[in-house]
Amino acid sequence: MTLVIIRTAIIYVTLLIIMRLMGKRQIGEMQPFELVITLLIAELACIPMADASIPLLYGIIAVVTIYVLHEIVTLLDLKVKPLKSLISGKPSLVINKNGIDDYQLKKNNLDVSDLIESLRSAGYFSLDSIDYALYESNGKFSALPKEDYEETQTSLPLVIVDNGKYDRKNLQIAGLGADFFDKLLKKEGVKKLKKVLVLTADGTGKIYLQVKGEKYRTLKTEYPGGKTW
Amino acid sequence: MVKSLTAIAIATALLFGLALFEWFYVAEQFSDFGEEVQTLYDKTDNGTANAEDARAVQTSWEERKSRLHVWIPHNDVNKIDDYMAEAVRLIGEKEYPLALAKLEILLHLSKCIPGTYRPEAENIF
Repeated sequence: MTLVIIRTAIIYVTLLIIMRLMGKRQIGEMQPFELVITLLIAELACIPMADASIPLLYGIIAVVTIYVLHEIVTLLDLKVKPLKSLISGKPSLVINKNGIDDYQLKKNNLDVSDLIESLRSAGYFSLDSIDYALYESNGKFSALPKEDYEETQTSLPLVIVDNGKYDRKNLQIAGLGADFFDKLLKKEGVKKLKKVLVLTADGTGKIYLQVKGEKYRTLKTEYPGGKTW
Repeated sequence: MVKSLTAIAIATALLFGLALFEWFYVAEQFSDFGEEVQTLYDKTDNGTANAEDARAVQTSWEERKSRLHVWIPHNDVNKIDDYMAEAVRLIGEKEYPLALAKLEILLHLSKCIPGTYRPEAENIF
């Protein structure tokens, strides 16, 4: 039984650390320590229930140990401020006035397309319609739109360059060639494609460009042949 | 806060109380069983053991078994059951050398099983 208690505690702490290291991507509206409980309880209850060779008491002891650990972690989370960020993590500001914070995205094992997906789920289709966006410690996404954000969302923007690489599928959808954007980047003083964090283009000719380590810029252009979508 | 702390204290006390009880209880049960098997072993070694002696140890084990099932994995209990049944049969048939081999295994199990529940690194990992 002592073994069950020690082993349960080791697995609990290991899972908690792993969940914290995995970043926001793995968490869905739960604090990391709540997710760990959810993952463990079902298994702990099932194994002695299904395997008659294991005394039922082993399952009960493991579940009670988990309960004690959960109560201790919850108390620490609520009462000891420095430990709160260690246990539950901190919100990550992924979009600020300068654009996308690549460092914060990487820290949470996310990329630009994940961010754009979260923005779309929250009802924002254009990167420049947002002043601030953040992933809460429980993985939820929150965004503060610009005052006139509805006016900036006139057409669906397509991600053309994502982290230094062309999105061939979106180029095809837009009906534009990579050479058009190469020229546009050269005009904007961007010498290497891999320096581009994100480039989106919408049907009205609005381009959102952010070079790594720089503030984002928006440009207005005209597509070859007056193309729109 | 007070409710949480009380719940934590009660649950922790319960867990460690049960763990301590299990530790001593299992050790004591196997120690007593080991002594009984040792007596039977000595009698078998002298060639004086009979079926009744063996059955007495088996009956005593059956009683212990019903209590030990709560604390230790049932596979460990079954292992002892099997060797005990074989020893009883062999002693009944006066096959003492073969019975001694089975009793030696029982002695070994009664010594090593409680050790597998101790909180030592080799058991934890």
